[in-house]
Amino acid sequence: MKYDVIVVGSGVGGAGVAYSLCKAGYKVALLEKGKLIKREEFSKDELAYVRRDIVTPNPFEEYHTIEERVDGAWVSTSTYASGWSFWNGNIVGGSSTFMSGMFHRMHPDDFRLKSKYGKIKGANVEDWAISYEELEPYYTLAEELVGITGRANTHRFSPPRSRTYFSQAPTKENEVVKLFDKSCKDLGVTSLVTARAILSKDRGTRKGCYYSNFCGSYGCSSGAKGSAMEALIKPALATGNLTLMSNTYVKKLLCNTETEVESVLVLNTITKEEKQLFAKVFVVAAQAHESARLLLNSANKYYPDGLANSSGELGKNLLFSGGGYGYGELHKDALQQISFASLMQKGLFINRSILDWYFVEHWWKGKFKGGLVEFMFEHQNIISRAVRSTKSEHKLLWGKALGEHLVSKFTKSKNVRFEVFTDWLPHSNCFISLDKTHKDTYGMPVGKLRIEAHPQDVKVGEYLAKKCEAVLEEMGATNIRSVINALPPPNLIAGGCRFGTNPKTSVLNKYCQTHDIENLFVSDASFMPTGGSTPYSWTIYANALRVGEHIVKQLRKRS
Amino acid sequence: MKRRVFLILGSIFGLSSILSSKDTDVLKLSSSLQVKKTISAVQEHLFPTQSLLPSAKSMQVIEFLFETIMHKTYDKDIRLFILQGAKELERRERGVFVSLTFLEKERALRAYENSSYGSSWLSQIMVLTLEAMLSDPIYGSNIHQEAWSALGTNGGEPRPKKEYLFDEI
Ligand SMILES: Cc1cc2nc3c(=O)[nH]c(=O)nc-3n(C[C@H](O)[C@H](O)[C@H](O)COP(=O)(O)OP(=O)(O)OC[C@H]3O[C@@H](n4cnc5c(N)ncnc54)[C@H](O)[C@@H]3O)c2cc1C
Ligand code: SF4
Repeated sequence: MKYDVIVVGSGVGGAGVAYSLCKAGYKVALLEKGKLIKREEFSKDELAYVRRDIVTPNPFEEYHTIEERVDGAWVSTSTYASGWSFWNGNIVGGSSTFMSGMFHRMHPDDFRLKSKYGKIKGANVEDWAISYEELEPYYTLAEELVGITGRANTHRFSPPRSRTYFSQAPTKENEVVKLFDKSCKDLGVTSLVTARAILSKDRGTRKGCYYSNFCGSYGCSSGAKGSAMEALIKPALATGNLTLMSNTYVKKLLCNTETEVESVLVLNTITKEEKQLFAKVFVVAAQAHESARLLLNSANKYYPDGLANSSGELGKNLLFSGGGYGYGELHKDALQQISFASLMQKGLFINRSILDWYFVEHWWKGKFKGGLVEFMFEHQNIISRAVRSTKSEHKLLWGKALGEHLVSKFTKSKNVRFEVFTDWLPHSNCFISLDKTHKDTYGMPVGKLRIEAHPQDVKVGEYLAKKCEAVLEEMGATNIRSVINALPPPNLIAGGCRFGTNPKTSVLNKYCQTHDIENLFVSDASFMPTGGSTPYSWTIYANALRVGEHIVKQLRKRS
Repeated sequence: MKRRVFLILGSIFGLSSILSSKDTDVLKLSSSLQVKKTISAVQEHLFPTQSLLPSAKSMQVIEFLFETIMHKTYDKDIRLFILQGAKELERRERGVFVSLTFLEKERALRAYENSSYGSSWLSQIMVLTLEAMLSDPIYGSNIHQEAWSALGTNGGEPRPKKEYLFDEI
């Protein structure tokens, strides 16, 4: 059988394309190396989902290597040895199954960062091949399909919206927001309601959020979370046009000519059986680093340096998210506006972000791109919180002292956390290539990620963290700390297959179609030349729907 | 480089010995009654009775620890490290750690903690014991959710219906 389209990877990037095509009547095969976990099978088993990572591959079987600069030399460590990996959720629906769903659109100026700020020393910043205005209709479409809830903000740095409303009200908030909003007001800062990819009310087969208290890192048992599975794959399956293949690992894409991909070579991870699958069009969406790896592993006689890599740009300019996080403790005696009991109420969200420092014009530091900050409660994982509280001055606490300390931590205070998102400036020492010695359990070379942050990223992160600390202080929090460094968070990855108008300097054209091969597309965050200062998922959803629509048009033209 | 650093710093024999140890060493160590008794005594010292938290003994944490580290998905280097760490503690204490008094055990463990090996090992035991106590009761510890209650908290819903250890989907 020859499918119309084969999509590799069932996360946000793959599901967006698959949905558009199935709705338009095309036959799609969606290939996912991970297993299928049904909604009713999810639980809040911290041991399984958080401590043992049951939804990512066994690190000794599938891994990558990470190259960091140590004392001036590049040192490579495999992720099975370090425990530090970029797997984020490898099941049907991908990482979105486990996201917290804090959703942000990028700002129009994020699409033209180079034009706005000029060249930044040591960075490879480029403007996007499309404008915000071109992506806006798809942000709105994603908002509707995914079920993004919130309140339309009118902040000077809020991206413009073609629709003034959200179709559902924001999710419920803990009373601590009264304290947060007042503190911001007193500091002259604008606090904004964060949009969430979480339904506040029932919609179709998806139930509204039941405030389970364990959201990020867990699958959702109500379907409220707008994961790729709930939002797009299930509706795509309902068309009858989608063939969903879990436990299907794609080893490489195969070509018979220079201009066309003919098939994919897949391996069933349970039976270990290999076969070829054929289609007219191929879309890769394996999460940015793995998409580049798959194309590099698909090198052939026409493209010896990686499929569709005539530019030599494949794998280059990998992006993460700059910034870091911080937190402070709220204790009973410091609370005035709200009761301690309401602070301790479980499950309700904070849902607050601040955009005031997205673009900075400082009397001394000058003009520079700042970022977004997001406030939330610390993740409620019981074991992890306890484990973090076992040390006092580098010594382990134990016995009665540990008992008293933990009970006090859990019952007498609650941590408010902030996360800082800044641009991860693209540069020449952040890229993915193939490791020459390490292979995964399926015999394919693993990806080697060279990771280094541009010094500017850390400076901006520190600038924003200071602002956040002031907010926490105003709220009456104590033990305020922030952790800003050059290490990227593992779950926000983009770049590696930049889009652009020039085939010599980019891998993809403006529709995320490779310049070299007409029937090959990449639809996850790989296309992004710069990442904005927001988490990526709304942008990936929107762009994947845009790419899907373009492929539909092309297929229609062909027939 | 977290895990590698831990193994390098932690290993008294050096990383290569840990990595090259044969499975038979693990088998021998894991079936040694003495190793089990030593780890159990350490857990009982870290989580004694008359604390605000339930005791290690009442929560059957030793069973959890062995079930976890002997599972095929558990990191085999850390498994060996945990077993060898108990042996090392006994060697330091001339094979009588288990029968020491409370104060002697405190002295022995604080002294062990002063070595980077001992410090890493005790951290591992602490983590595995907290995992036992504070995971869902389905895993056999946290009996009647007593440890959750002590912390004024409870796990989320829905609770797991089966242990991930037996989940072979
Ligand atoms: C705990 C957590 C919290 C998060 N919170 C937020 C948030 O609040 N807001 C936000 O915007 N984002 C958040 N994110 C990030 C967000 O989930 C990701 O940016 C997004 O889901 C990435 O989508 P993707 O399609 O690029 O990749 P993925 O979702 O990773 O999908 C790629 C899929 O491809 C599969 N695959 C890879 N290689 C192959 C192969 N060779 N063959 C077959 N299949 C393959 C993978 O198994 C995977 O399922 C969070 C992520 C995590 C883990
Ligand atoms: S019910 Fe609400 S809080 Fe719980 S996982 Fe689903 S979306 Fe998150």
